[in-house]
Amino acid sequence: MKLDIVFAGVGGQGIVVLSDIFCEAAMLDGFDVTKAEIHGMAQRGGSVTAFARISEKVETPLIETGKVNIIIGFEILETTRALHMLTPDGTVIVNTKYLKPNNFSKNIKPKTQQELLSIIKNAATNIYEVNASNMANQLGNNLTTNTILLGALSALHNMPIKRESFEKAIAAKLKEKYLQINMQAFELGRQSVQNNVHKT
Amino acid sequence: MTSKITTNKPGSFILLNGDEAVARGAIEADIKVATAYPGTPSTEILETLSKAAKTLNFYAEWSVNEIISTTIAAGASMTGARAIVSMKHVGLNVASDAVMTLAYTGTEGGLVIVVCDDPALHSSQNEQDTRYFAVHSKLPLLDAGNPQEALNMTKEAFNISESLHLPIILRLTTRVAHGKAKVQIGNFQKLERKISFDKNGSRWVMIPVNATRQHNVLEEKLVEAKKISENFTFNTIEDNNSEVGIIGSGVGYYYARSVLDTKKFSWLKLGFIHPFPTELVKKFAAKVKQLIVIEELRPYIEENLQRLKLDVTGKTALNLSEIGEYTPDKIREALAKLNLTEKTSTPTAIVGLQPRPPNLCPGCTHRAFYYALNSVNQHVACDSSKCIGCRTCEKICSFEKTHISDASKARIHVTRINNADHIAITCQTCPNAPCVTSCNNGALSKSVKTGLISVDENKCIGCGLCVKACSYGAMVLDSGKRKVFVCDTCQGDPACVKHCPRYALTLVGRSDDKIVAGDIGCYTLGVLPPLNTVQTCLCMGGGISQAAGMVHAGVNGKVFAVIGDSTFFHAGMPGLLNIVYNRANVCVIILDNRIVAMTGHQPTPASGQTAMGDTAKSVSIPEIVRSIGIDKIVTVDPYDVKATIEAIRETLTYDGPCVIITQRPCPLISERGRPYEITEKCGSCGLCTTQFGCPAIITQINDENSNNSNDDATMPVVGRAEIDSSLCNGCGVCASICPHNAIVPLVGRKD
Repeated sequence: MKLDIVFAGVGGQGIVVLSDIFCEAAMLDGFDVTKAEIHGMAQRGGSVTAFARISEKVETPLIETGKVNIIIGFEILETTRALHMLTPDGTVIVNTKYLKPNNFSKNIKPKTQQELLSIIKNAATNIYEVNASNMANQLGNNLTTNTILLGALSALHNMPIKRESFEKAIAAKLKEKYLQINMQAFELGRQSVQNNVHKT
Repeated sequence: MTSKITTNKPGSFILLNGDEAVARGAIEADIKVATAYPGTPSTEILETLSKAAKTLNFYAEWSVNEIISTTIAAGASMTGARAIVSMKHVGLNVASDAVMTLAYTGTEGGLVIVVCDDPALHSSQNEQDTRYFAVHSKLPLLDAGNPQEALNMTKEAFNISESLHLPIILRLTTRVAHGKAKVQIGNFQKLERKISFDKNGSRWVMIPVNATRQHNVLEEKLVEAKKISENFTFNTIEDNNSEVGIIGSGVGYYYARSVLDTKKFSWLKLGFIHPFPTELVKKFAAKVKQLIVIEELRPYIEENLQRLKLDVTGKTALNLSEIGEYTPDKIREALAKLNLTEKTSTPTAIVGLQPRPPNLCPGCTHRAFYYALNSVNQHVACDSSKCIGCRTCEKICSFEKTHISDASKARIHVTRINNADHIAITCQTCPNAPCVTSCNNGALSKSVKTGLISVDENKCIGCGLCVKACSYGAMVLDSGKRKVFVCDTCQGDPACVKHCPRYALTLVGRSDDKIVAGDIGCYTLGVLPPLNTVQTCLCMGGGISQAAGMVHAGVNGKVFAVIGDSTFFHAGMPGLLNIVYNRANVCVIILDNRIVAMTGHQPTPASGQTAMGDTAKSVSIPEIVRSIGIDKIVTVDPYDVKATIEAIRETLTYDGPCVIITQRPCPLISERGRPYEITEKCGSCGLCTTQFGCPAIITQINDENSNNSNDDATMPVVGRAEIDSSLCNGCGVCASICPHNAIVPLVGRKD
C-alpha cells in the first residue's frame, strides 16, 4: 500500500497543520511517512504545497510529477495549479472557495471559479467538490474548514488509515476547547464524501 | 506537541522534521547550552530546544546574532559542557570569524555547529555550500540526508567532537531540515561533568606563538579525523555486485534510490564528508566500472574523486546543475539519459494561471509604512480605460480654485488620446521638474517635502516658458492675470478625485523618486508590486551602509534605509554608529514590530521575554538610537498613514543622519480586529488594490457573460473591490486611505 498526497492552498489556511495530523494518523496505523512543504518567503498569502507520503517504507519527501494519488485542495486556484502532480486515475478533493489573488500583471486574464472548476474536471476523473468554507461558516468557525477536508480525505474508499486514528491525531493536536466543533467538522467532511453527492 | 521531544521511550517512533531531530539528538547527548539566531530553515532547532530546556535542565537562548551565539556555545564548551549552536548557511558567514579560529583553539566539551543550507533559495539570499566552508576552516563536517540521520549524526557528532577536541559542523539542507519523517528516538545519556575552566590553557589565547602551535595541532587532529571518517557508521556501502556504483550525500542520494531499482546498483552513502574518506571511496570504486555522483549544489564529492584520479560521471555528464535543488523528477531525467531507469512522461503544469507570489500579510505594518513612504510625493493619475472625457474634473477643479466653473481655469485637462479614449492630465511632480529649470525668474519651486510645484506670483511674469517645458501640459497660463498656475493636489485631498463620476482619478504616490536601501526580513517583500519601494537587499545590516556609500559617492536626494527591529539588533547598530561618526545624510527607518516575524515570531531583546520564557529587560530602541548619537528621532504608528507621511517629510529637510521608528507589533501576534467591508460607495478606483495591495482586498472578476450583456462599452472590466473577511486583519488602514470613504467595519460581527 502506497499513498502519495498533495495538500495545496494559500499560506494561512492551515495546510501544514493538516498534513501533520494526516501523518500522525498514518503513523498510528503503523505506516512509514515522510512530509515536505513548498512555500515562499511570506508568512501568509502565498502558494503553499505540502507533500505527504505513506507506505511500508518511504525514503524521500518529494513526489515525482504525475504520481500523486490524491490532491486535497484548500482553494480552487491552488488546486488547479497542483493538477499536473496527479496520476491519471488520481482523486481530487477540492474546497470550492476561490481566493482571488490581486492581479498586478496585466498579461494574465484572471479565471472565473467556473473556468477553474472545468479545468479540474477535465484533468481528473474522481473529483469531490466540498464547499468546506461555507460548511465551516455554518458550523460557526471558519477555522474548521481544513478539518472538514480531512474528514473528506478520511472517508475515501481507498484510504487505508482508520477513522479512529484520524480522530486520535486530531485530538492530540488541538486544544480541548476546539475539539468538539472539530469532531463535528470531521464528521461533516466524511459525510460529504460518503453521500457522494458532489462526485462528478 | 512539544512534549514528544522529551519522551523517554528509547526505540519508539515519532514524527519529526530534521530540525526537531537535531534538537532531540542534542537532548539525548545531554547538552548543557544551546544557542542560535533565528534563520530559515534552521530556526526550529533552537525553538524546539528552548521549549524543552526547563524540563530537562539545560540552558537555551536566542542570541542577537550568529557570532555571539557561536562564541557563547564555545565558552560553554571550554568549561567541559556540551553545547550546540545552530544557524542558516549565511549565518555561518557572520560566525566565521569565531569559527575559523575555534578550529585552532579546539574545544573541551562536545561542540556541534549545525548549519542549514538552502538550495533553491526558498528563503535566503544565496546558495552557498557549507561543505566548502569545512574545507576552508579545516573542520570535520557531517552531512545529513534525512531526519533520522540528523538525530543520529547529532548525537554522534558530540562523541567525535570530544575525541578530537574540535567543533563538528553538521550540515542539513532545507528538504532535510523542514521535511518530516518517522524517526526512531534513542536513550538519554547522563554525563557527570565537572564544569570548570582551565585558566592556564595557552591554547585559548590565540596570540601568534600559540596560534602557530595550534595550527600544527589542528593538522594532527585532521589526520585522526580522517581515520574516523574512513570507518564512520554513516559512510555506508551497499554492495549489490553491480558494475555501476552510485556515490551520494544528502537528500539527493535518496532521490536517486527512489527512481532506480536499488538492487541493480551498488551504493555508497557519504555522511562524514570532510575530511574526505579516500580509502573507503577507493575500495568502493575498485568494485565497479562506472562511478556516478549525486550531490546538490557544488561538485564537492566529484572534485575529491577527480583528485584520486578516478573516472567520474558527475554533474556535467548528468547535465545536473549547481544551481537550485534536486528533485526526483530531475534525477530521473538525468539517470534516464544514461539508460539506467525509465523516463516517464511527466504532465506539464497548467499555464495561464494567475501567480500568487509572496506578499506582506493582511494588516502588515510594513505595507502601511511603505504606502506612506511612496505617498510622500503624490500626484493625481488617470486610468484612461475608465475616463470617458466628460470633463467633470475640469469643472470641479476650476470651481474649487476660482469659485467659477471655467475649464480654462482648471489645473487638470482632458485630452483625447485616440478616437475612443480620453485621459485627464495634471502635474506629475516629475523628479527633475523641467518647469522649474525653465523659469528664468525663479518663480517656480519644487517642494522638497511634497514634490509639488509652487508659483511665486510676485516673480512670475507670465512668459510661458514653463508651459512649453512641461510635456504634460500641466502648467496653465492665466491669460488675464499673466500668471501661471498648477495642481497642488488640494493639499492632498483633491476635489477632482472625489467627484470623478467614473472613478478614473486617483491620488498616487511614487517609488521612483527616492532611494530606499533594504535589509533582511519580511519587509524585503516591499520590493514587490504594487509597492515597489525597496531597492536593495544584500545581507544582515547591509542597507544602512549601502545607503551611506551612495551618499558619500554623491548621489542626489535623500537616501533612506529600512531595517527591522531584530536585524537592527543583529547587525544594524554598528552601521548606525558609523553614519553618526562619518556623518552620512541617511534617514534610517527602524520597522519595529516587536518580534522576529519572518522566521516564525521569535522574541528579540525588546520583547521582554527570553527563549526559555523568562521575563527579560525590554531594551528601548529609541534610547539605543539616541545613545548612539542620533539627534533627530521620530516615532510613529505606521497605521496612522497621515502622521507617518508627515514624519517622513520632516526628515526630508533635515541635514544629517536621522531615524524614524515605526512602532506597532506584528499583526500575527496581535489580537485580530473587526474585519472591514467595502460598501456600494466603491467605484473601483483601484487605489486599495493597485497602490496599497493588501491580499485581503480582492478585485472581483466579472464573468464573461456579464461583459456581453453590458451595453455600456466604457464600463471598466474590473469589478468592485471586496474584502475577504476570513483574511482581513481589521487594521483599517485601507479605510483610512480610501478617497471615497467606501470601506467600513463589517456590520453584525463582534470579532
